[in-house]
Amino acid sequence: MTAVITSNEKIREIEQLLYQEAACLDRPDLDAWINLYTEDGTYWMPAIPDQEDPHTHISLFYDDRVLMEVRRRNFVHPAAASKDYDVRASHIISNVQVRELDEKSGDCTVTSNFHCFLYYRDKQTPYAGKYTHELVRDGDRYKIRSKRVDIINCDATLNTIIIYI
Amino acid sequence: MSYTEQQIADMVQPTKVHRSLYTDPEIFDLEMERIWANAWIYIGHESQVPEKGSYMTLNYGKVPVVMVRDNDNDVHVLHNRCGHKGAKLVDRPCGKIPAFRCCYHGWRYRLDGKLLGVPHLQGYDGTDFDKDDPQYSMQKMTSESFRGFVFATMNPNPPDLRTWMGGAADVMDNLCDRAPEGEVEAAGGVLRYEHECNWKMFIENLNDTMHPMIVHRSVVESALDYIKTLPEGSPRRDEAEIIPPFGASYETFEETGITGFRFGHHYDGGKTSIHAKYTLDPEYEAAMLKAYGKERMQEILSFNTHNTLYYPSLTIKSAVQNIRVVRPIAYNKTIIETWSFRLKGAPDSMLKRTLLYSRLINSNGSMVGPDDLTAYFRMQEGLQSQASDWIEMHRNFARDEKLEDRMVGKGTSDLDVRTQFSAWREYMTEAA
Ligand code: FES
Ligand SMILES: [Fe+2]
Repeated sequence: MTAVITSNEKIREIEQLLYQEAACLDRPDLDAWINLYTEDGTYWMPAIPDQEDPHTHISLFYDDRVLMEVRRRNFVHPAAASKDYDVRASHIISNVQVRELDEKSGDCTVTSNFHCFLYYRDKQTPYAGKYTHELVRDGDRYKIRSKRVDIINCDATLNTIIIYI
Repeated sequence: MSYTEQQIADMVQPTKVHRSLYTDPEIFDLEMERIWANAWIYIGHESQVPEKGSYMTLNYGKVPVVMVRDNDNDVHVLHNRCGHKGAKLVDRPCGKIPAFRCCYHGWRYRLDGKLLGVPHLQGYDGTDFDKDDPQYSMQKMTSESFRGFVFATMNPNPPDLRTWMGGAADVMDNLCDRAPEGEVEAAGGVLRYEHECNWKMFIENLNDTMHPMIVHRSVVESALDYIKTLPEGSPRRDEAEIIPPFGASYETFEETGITGFRFGHHYDGGKTSIHAKYTLDPEYEAAMLKAYGKERMQEILSFNTHNTLYYPSLTIKSAVQNIRVVRPIAYNKTIIETWSFRLKGAPDSMLKRTLLYSRLINSNGSMVGPDDLTAYFRMQEGLQSQASDWIEMHRNFARDEKLEDRMVGKGTSDLDVRTQFSAWREYMTEAA
């Protein structure tokens, strides 16, 4: 897939949204994060490279709004023992490319590379891979309709992934 | 060896076990030799090697093995070791090959492991090397399958697999009978989840019905809290049937009951379980009705177990059609694999629900499994304390009922762990 050439201004706007989302996950603040998604938004982390479907193959995450709402509450629930530890992350996003663009609506598909260090329970774990965001125009801003997170070691033996990457 | 037979036997008492079982690397090594090499260990499902030449690799304890289908359609479990200098012959998780060929000096083997060819063989002329001597072939493990589930053992005189499974085989039968065609196949891949704990902590939790209302309270309350905000008439969600039962009361779990067998196997549930109230998919029901008739269908679907352990390596959920496989790495490290199964002849919605369950409950990113794991690694770390050498398992002791081939007890009984540890003691002392 080749990148779509688009204006500097447009790219800037898209990048700002990706950074804003990453900042929510750095803290992490899922209450702010969820507002960046549309009502029919999804968050998907496949368990194999090039996975085609979240329903015919296992995934590490596949949350729609319902599960995002449950996870948002669970993440700060005082009885969740696995959340009894500080969770801190640092995301770097680069290689942002617009792959598809509907000139009329402004809706677009954007890919980017990310590196994320996640600190959890005295351990720092690096994750790296590719994001694919589907963005839709909502008034004067963009919202995320879907985010696909392909970590490069998705099919390896992994430990707990305590939060969205 | 620093432990005598008697010392090992004494580590397991009727109502308590010694903490060394979790903290001592030497006990772990002995367990590998005496339990894991003598029990039937789950390898994989025949559907994972569907064609001639299909193989899958795994570690059996520390031993690299390969399950492979040969040209006569027989499935073998072979040591994944070249007969020459020992290189692993295949090193991908799965694949398909016409024959084994070593990456180092090119020795070739038939799919059943027999050595076929050695390059430049004349160099061996006049030596006592004999290519047809079985010691130079890939070594075969004793394996047997039950309804497609393949187990292997290094025990030279194992009981046959069906006898070893005892009454716990009913649950594997039930898993397969839930398919309109009476067969299941592995589908939708695997999750491999590293657990920084002893392997026994994972299997002891399977029928631990005293933990869900504590450990899983957060996800249950989060789900219920969100459901409350939904307008009346919102569409039904499988998640709303899967998550809340984890918060069921002590009384509910009490009713499910626990059944234990020889060799350490056990299950909870039977008449009812936390999976009993799942909505029956109408298309699936129709397929089942057609295949079995009403009476038999009801018999199959009303046998409702939760987790069934085939000690020490496999736990299955017949009502959900997923399994978890235990792969011990060290005394404080275990890999848990989650595999999902398709019911042959059932609509795709059934596999979709199985995968939803695996993801929601067992995945590395789930809101359930990580809370269980937190309890395990805290035990692993807490047991470093010498405050006490013992871990108790008294609950309902002497109130379980002994039947001819099984023990049955209330759902919150420690019958399950006592069943495991009597097998542990038998393997650890008898096999020496
Ligand atoms: S080690 Fe396999 S051919 Fe030499
Ligand atoms: Fe649990």
